[in-house]
Amino acid sequence: MTDHPARAGRAAPSRRDLMRMAGLSALGLGPAGCGRGFGGGGGGGGDGVQLTMVWWGDVERAKKTQAALAIFQKQNPGVTVKTEFQDSGPYKDKLATRFAAGDPPDLMAMRTDSLREYADRGALLDLTQHKDAVDVSALSEGARSLAAVDGKSYGIPAGLNSVAFVVNKAVTDKYGVKIPDGDTWSWEDLAAFGRAVTKASGKKVYGVNFETFNVGYLDVFIRQRGEDFYTAQGALGVTEGSITAWFEMIQRMRADGGFPPAGFIEDVGTSPEQSYQAKGLIAATIIPTNTFLVNNKACGGNLVMLRMPGETQGERRGQSIGCPHLWSIAAASKHPNEALKLLNFLINDTEGAKTTGTTRGVPSNSQVADAIKPRLERDDQVATDFLIDLQKEKLPPSYLHPPGSTKIVANLKTVAAEVEYKRRTPAQAAQAIIADGRKALGE
Amino acid sequence: MTGTTAGPALVAGPAAQTPPPAPPAKRRQDRAGYLFLLPWFVGMLFTVIPFFASLYLAFTDYNLLTPPRWTGLANFREMLGDPLLHQALKVTFIYTFVSVPLSLAAALGVAMLLSRGVRGLPVYRAVFYLPSLLGGSVAIVLLWKYIFGLDGIVNGLLGWFGIEGPAWTADPDHALTTLIVLHIWTFGSPMVIFLAGLRQIPVMYYEAAAIDGASRWRRFRSITLPLLSPIIFFNLIQSLISSFQTFTQGFVMSNGTGGPANSTLFYNLYLYQKGFSQFDMGYASAMAWMLLVIIAAFTALNFLAAKYWVHYDN
Repeated sequence: MTDHPARAGRAAPSRRDLMRMAGLSALGLGPAGCGRGFGGGGGGGGDGVQLTMVWWGDVERAKKTQAALAIFQKQNPGVTVKTEFQDSGPYKDKLATRFAAGDPPDLMAMRTDSLREYADRGALLDLTQHKDAVDVSALSEGARSLAAVDGKSYGIPAGLNSVAFVVNKAVTDKYGVKIPDGDTWSWEDLAAFGRAVTKASGKKVYGVNFETFNVGYLDVFIRQRGEDFYTAQGALGVTEGSITAWFEMIQRMRADGGFPPAGFIEDVGTSPEQSYQAKGLIAATIIPTNTFLVNNKACGGNLVMLRMPGETQGERRGQSIGCPHLWSIAAASKHPNEALKLLNFLINDTEGAKTTGTTRGVPSNSQVADAIKPRLERDDQVATDFLIDLQKEKLPPSYLHPPGSTKIVANLKTVAAEVEYKRRTPAQAAQAIIADGRKALGE
Repeated sequence: MTGTTAGPALVAGPAAQTPPPAPPAKRRQDRAGYLFLLPWFVGMLFTVIPFFASLYLAFTDYNLLTPPRWTGLANFREMLGDPLLHQALKVTFIYTFVSVPLSLAAALGVAMLLSRGVRGLPVYRAVFYLPSLLGGSVAIVLLWKYIFGLDGIVNGLLGWFGIEGPAWTADPDHALTTLIVLHIWTFGSPMVIFLAGLRQIPVMYYEAAAIDGASRWRRFRSITLPLLSPIIFFNLIQSLISSFQTFTQGFVMSNGTGGPANSTLFYNLYLYQKGFSQFDMGYASAMAWMLLVIIAAFTALNFLAAKYWVHYDN
């Protein structure tokens, strides 16, 4: 990694030279040169106000966002919006750095599990103070409360989504496996389905795979058992027993072949085309509903959308309405009024929403959602109907992740890998997650 | 990462070696030298200021969003009981102590082969040097990930011999091994330096030894190694320091997590996670200084040990 200075001419450097060189090399401490820029895009300078807006996503989303911003800029002469976007992975780190540098963006996409890290430290604008500027009257109570912290609000859902199982029908047809009824299936049905696919395909295709460390998926399972991963007060609500049960269920599925063996799934990237399902190696997996369109495209339009298993057998429902991300405004924004205007536009403007569609989930303003629905592509309509149906039912709320949850998320991933390679038993894993989780939350 | 700071110092070396009062022509030459160094001094400013800022931050609780709060030695005390930090040290030490000797041995071996006057030497030299230019880059680490993938080239080769290879990058028992192999492969820069060093050893020594009937091994032990020892020493120090600071490989291979199961959690990667993902820049700064102390200690140890095996001509 380091390019040593190759100096071919002189042979024996003196001792003092060496000392000097070594010292200087040591000075170059730290992960220097790891700054990778946001992918650029967006409007230029000029007179008037220039807003900075950052978010994560792909090129497809970028095109749609730019189209919406063009409408906003036409409506608001004198305001230009400079957007920057990048992959979801490094987004979080990059945003933190911008705040630290004293150069926060005016408007930003905010992860629900990062919101309180910023809000609790006074870095975000309290939107309840600006009710006139941003109209939230058309948002459902659930959507409004998604970003509430002690009666204040530091973000608005950019859209609504949930999680769903997607099954590749081309695979199940080929091997003659019946897709279970997605409204009533149990976790046992999932295991049986996985087993059947793996067996019928002679291990060419494994039945089921999903991220076993994903809090969003785990939370569905946990809620069905009457618990919440995080409580409304931001404490750790999950019990060791439930996490143990989760890992034991996955271990069982791994043991009887429905789930791929340890090491089969490698961390190769997150784009839909690279997914194991798109490559035809996995029949069923879990996705966020707003990504159904891109995933289905990558799978040749063969995906069937099911609800999460166990919804009719558990103590209560496990699915809930969440959002891909929130829109937040920096407390230090130099143009809060224009930023609020842009936020209001993104939430409430039908023309704008027509261009963005459901790339960030179903619009949280239900009137806007109704208005854009007929124009959506078919796959987006499927996902939207799925969500609209869910919203009509009585679902448990999803709570914001407390500060410190970043550590818990990282730890979950580590421990899940340890279970996969049998370095820890499910019970030991659960114990570690709870103990470290308490510590991370300062409980 | 480190090469940028080390480069100009080398240029400064020859000038600094002649301290006595200089004639005007010499002084003019010195001035020219410093003038050429000017960009480096300007660049240094950007290093020195954060350098001392981080020293201050090491003694604070700083979450990036609110002003730092002085906490004295709290960060350093926390380090003692931080299992992830200990894991990061373990990963970094294993990586360093396995890959540095092996890569230096590979570098010296290839350099000796090439120094025998191979035809088309510049081409070979370039071919072997290339990996060390690319090895730290994102693209190569990604390529590496595929080569060592479950269905990658490595397992394909093993398959020919009836061996079912493991999931090299996904299995916590093997992930670090792939990175060590990657590091060894990038032996090009010490090799080039060795090559230059080998060519400085006067041929007459070998001729004299050959006449006296010394074996090849004997010639290597008694002529090549002692005369090359300053170069070996230089390469050793350089490699150790850069290896302790490894970041990119671990970050890219694990998408920044240090996974699977923290098996590639390099010290600098953990430092980065602490500072930029977990809003604990005070702790990250303290870690950076701890690394400086560790590197300084190992370098000092090496200089002490050097008395016994490094042979200087002057």
